[in-house]
Amino acid sequence: MTSQRTAILFVLPALALYLAFVGLPILQVAAYSLFTWDNGSVTGFAGLANFTRLGGDTVFWTALGHNGIWVVLTLAFPLMIGLLLASILAECSPRTVRILGAIYFLPRTIPLVVAGIIWGWIYNPMFGLANWALDMVGLGALGGAWLAEPSTALYALNVVGAWTFFGFCVLIYLAAIQAIDPSLYEAAQLDGASWLKRFRFVTVPLLKPTTLFLGLYAAIEAMRFFDLVWVTTQGGPGYDTEVLTTHIYKTFFLVGDFGYAATLSVVLLAIVLTVSGVSYRLLRSA
Amino acid sequence: MKHLPAARLVASTMLIAAAIPASAETVVTQWDQFASSGITAAGPAMDELIAACEKVLPDIKILRTVVPSIGIRESYRLAVSADKTPDLAYTWPAASVLAGYARTGKVAPLDAYYAKYKWDGINDFYRGRNSYKGNIYGVPMEQDLMGVYYNRDLFKKLGLEVPKTYAEFQAVAAKVKEAGYVPIAFGNRDRWPATNTLSLVLGLTAGREAEEKVLFGDGSWTDPAFKKAAETIADWAKEGYFPRGFNGIGYDEANALFLGGRAAMTITGTWVLQDMARGAKFDLGVFMLPPISEGVPAGTMWGEGSQWQIAASAPEATKDAAAAYVDCLISPEHRQVWVEKGFLVPIGTKAEDLAAWNTLPAVKEFYAEGLKTPDTNFYDLHTTLPESVTQVLYPELQRLVGGDATPDQFLDAMQQSWSKAVANGERWQP
Amino acid sequence: MTAATALTATRHTRQSARRLTLGAFPAGRLLRHVILLLFALYALAPVYLVLLASVRSEAELFSGPLSLPWPIDFSNFSRTWTESGFAHYFVNSLIISTGSTVLVLITAPLAGYAFAKLDLPRKELLFGLFLAGLVVPAPSVIVALYGNLQKLGLLDTRLGVILPQAALLLPFSVFMMRTVMQDVPKELIEAAAVDGASPFTTYVRVVLPVVRPGLMSLALIAFLFSWQEYLLPLVVLQADDLKPLTVGAATLQGRYGVDYGGIAAAGTIAFGPLVVLFLVMQRSFVRGLTAGAVK
Repeated sequence: MTSQRTAILFVLPALALYLAFVGLPILQVAAYSLFTWDNGSVTGFAGLANFTRLGGDTVFWTALGHNGIWVVLTLAFPLMIGLLLASILAECSPRTVRILGAIYFLPRTIPLVVAGIIWGWIYNPMFGLANWALDMVGLGALGGAWLAEPSTALYALNVVGAWTFFGFCVLIYLAAIQAIDPSLYEAAQLDGASWLKRFRFVTVPLLKPTTLFLGLYAAIEAMRFFDLVWVTTQGGPGYDTEVLTTHIYKTFFLVGDFGYAATLSVVLLAIVLTVSGVSYRLLRSA
Repeated sequence: MKHLPAARLVASTMLIAAAIPASAETVVTQWDQFASSGITAAGPAMDELIAACEKVLPDIKILRTVVPSIGIRESYRLAVSADKTPDLAYTWPAASVLAGYARTGKVAPLDAYYAKYKWDGINDFYRGRNSYKGNIYGVPMEQDLMGVYYNRDLFKKLGLEVPKTYAEFQAVAAKVKEAGYVPIAFGNRDRWPATNTLSLVLGLTAGREAEEKVLFGDGSWTDPAFKKAAETIADWAKEGYFPRGFNGIGYDEANALFLGGRAAMTITGTWVLQDMARGAKFDLGVFMLPPISEGVPAGTMWGEGSQWQIAASAPEATKDAAAAYVDCLISPEHRQVWVEKGFLVPIGTKAEDLAAWNTLPAVKEFYAEGLKTPDTNFYDLHTTLPESVTQVLYPELQRLVGGDATPDQFLDAMQQSWSKAVANGERWQP
Repeated sequence: MTAATALTATRHTRQSARRLTLGAFPAGRLLRHVILLLFALYALAPVYLVLLASVRSEAELFSGPLSLPWPIDFSNFSRTWTESGFAHYFVNSLIISTGSTVLVLITAPLAGYAFAKLDLPRKELLFGLFLAGLVVPAPSVIVALYGNLQKLGLLDTRLGVILPQAALLLPFSVFMMRTVMQDVPKELIEAAAVDGASPFTTYVRVVLPVVRPGLMSLALIAFLFSWQEYLLPLVVLQADDLKPLTVGAATLQGRYGVDYGGIAAAGTIAFGPLVVLFLVMQRSFVRGLTAGAVK
């Protein structure tokens, strides 16, 4: 009994802080979703009427699709690159590992807002550094307005997202590879296995839990990222980079329909919690 | 004073109050968007006027907070939702949002103050824009006009004349393009600039009456005159009037493109007059875009852009103080400060005053042109439409101008959100 | 696996790997090194371009080669620092990040210890509650948070940012601390108990010294994440002299037209300290980030 009470006292400060500033607002937002609102004021009880609006909200479905694409792109690009680079680095000298590891991780230390500003400027069609740099090296013809074209905007933005994330993947994978029993590699090499074969048959299978962890992390981030889009495109051109968080932001702040914005938030939370709950199970059983 | 018993304190205060009205200082919290540069760069004028009005009204103390115009929409809405509404605020986007707060009872009706202070300089058009269901809720101050800023030196160099008809305008744009310059500096990454451009084009293809049929009557966005407007702006993009990648260029960057001499014209409003007049290293000129459709009278987009509004939750004394202070701000003698130091021309300013005051020639030129057509000047869309419609207009317009939606698709999307907002009772009617 | 065995294992792998691959597939090796360098370029090029722009004058911004100018022109920095208020923003970032880091450092290790070593009722449920916080998107809770802060009188104060910021960092921090605390040898705690120490004394005198490297990592990461936060301070703070660097940098975008030199300098001020901090404390950073991921 006493030991249980002690344990509760130990958790209490964190729990209180967390419930007051994260838990309570979530419950409030869930409650908001049951009312109709006009410009930030409650006008009546809505029941589940806000939720039935989701079906006809094409922006919601577009945004959800973009979040889905973002998840896939993040799994396909930074994660795979991270794995590849980590496996190459694992066989380099400690100094190389330290220097390159730092370089790869460097973008992660830059706030996403600043990363967005930097890349927004790099991509700028008139004053952009990318077009300028391409001109400098005689490739001016390749220049374009990547963030302003519907066909490229989301991908151009993902290049920025990947830029801030792949270094993190490298470091995590590297730590995991370094924890692999070296005798497995020795055995593989004695069998005459090439680097590619060792990568394919030793590294990749043994890193499955790490991949699951990173995948889960990436998926959660892909569902809830906001700063990057907001400072670069605000969801444009058209709806081409609209994601759930920008749709929520606009509905809250610009339309003032708190009820529906809260509904979107609840749905987003439900989706992410379900996906991560399932993945967490997978992770633990793996 | 401190040691007096409470009862005596109250009594003595009342006595003093009776002798000299309102001797206790009334604090008015004020939010405004007047920065020191960029859009509505009247920050220094605001500071000067606060000092001047506090001197005239010694019982009133103004607590000013500058909220950047890019964030004031969000900030004000949050403040209202948390009952932290500032006593007095100067915000955009004007009529549409004001109606929303009037509807929910968050801003105070000002009819009594209009009568008391005789704010007759504010004409029916502006009163209409600030009314909701018979009451008036805002004091519009800044007079926003749209026009075409142009580079006189470049026009001279290319042998161009200021166009008198739309066909001439098209010819000018084509010749500029041919000469290797950008005809119209335009950047729509911030999403709102194109709504101004469309507003101007719409007024010159449909005219004010046809606009009012849709905005205040039962008309539909699929009206042929509206379609003509959508087609016109889409054509401009197709014809290469705008710089490449305009949906990825910021408003400021478009202005910089013009000021840097790389574009011959830019179509925007009086709200950047200061930056334009100060930043241009060439001879800066202004003309009004000629009517686009046959039979539509000359005119331009005008509006107040922003207005003073008083919180319904403020105590009566604070409301009175805020109104007295607003009266001071828009008084004829203080208009001169707005014009000379703030580069904005308050509503009700007479043409002869403007001519006499010491301000930049571009300011005089712009207002003189725009104020020639008060009866045919027309509406600005994103300060007129309900916010829910504006949030559809922004992305749909990016798609239209970017060539990703046809004029019909654009108008259908607009009509859809419009009828939804009308059914919800979101629109305001004068 | 303890840190020591991991380290020997790594060294071992590396040595044997090198011995065996040496000269085996030179073409493949070359390709792999090219890949390493390409991605180093991807990571560094944007940073380099910004640094370059920050030390160039407006006039030479888009002229001249891609090499650093000499002598270096610091006028963009001095202008941003003094005129645009970045001296204030910098101090505010420092205060807010330090404040929330300290709060996290006080609360998260306690909770992590309870989850890892103490007899906590409903342990799984409580831990799940914390983990759920990892998925909360800021735009969803910010409106409710704003109203609550207004009622507490914390709007437009640094504390109004510090408290929610620390709370938002707790899910990750508690998760990380649980992992770190699991490595504390049971015998140490039991020995202290036998000596009659109270649980709290044991925690302070025995446990904390053992997990000091973990605490260092936690502090670094909490500081990094607080420094990077944008939406929370944007919404909570109104007075310009309270705003942190992220908010300042974002408002600079529209405020001075196209002063790219100034924006580049502002960006550099906003991320420079973090880059330096990271480079100096690289080992602690990496240990913290990988804690929990590899297990």
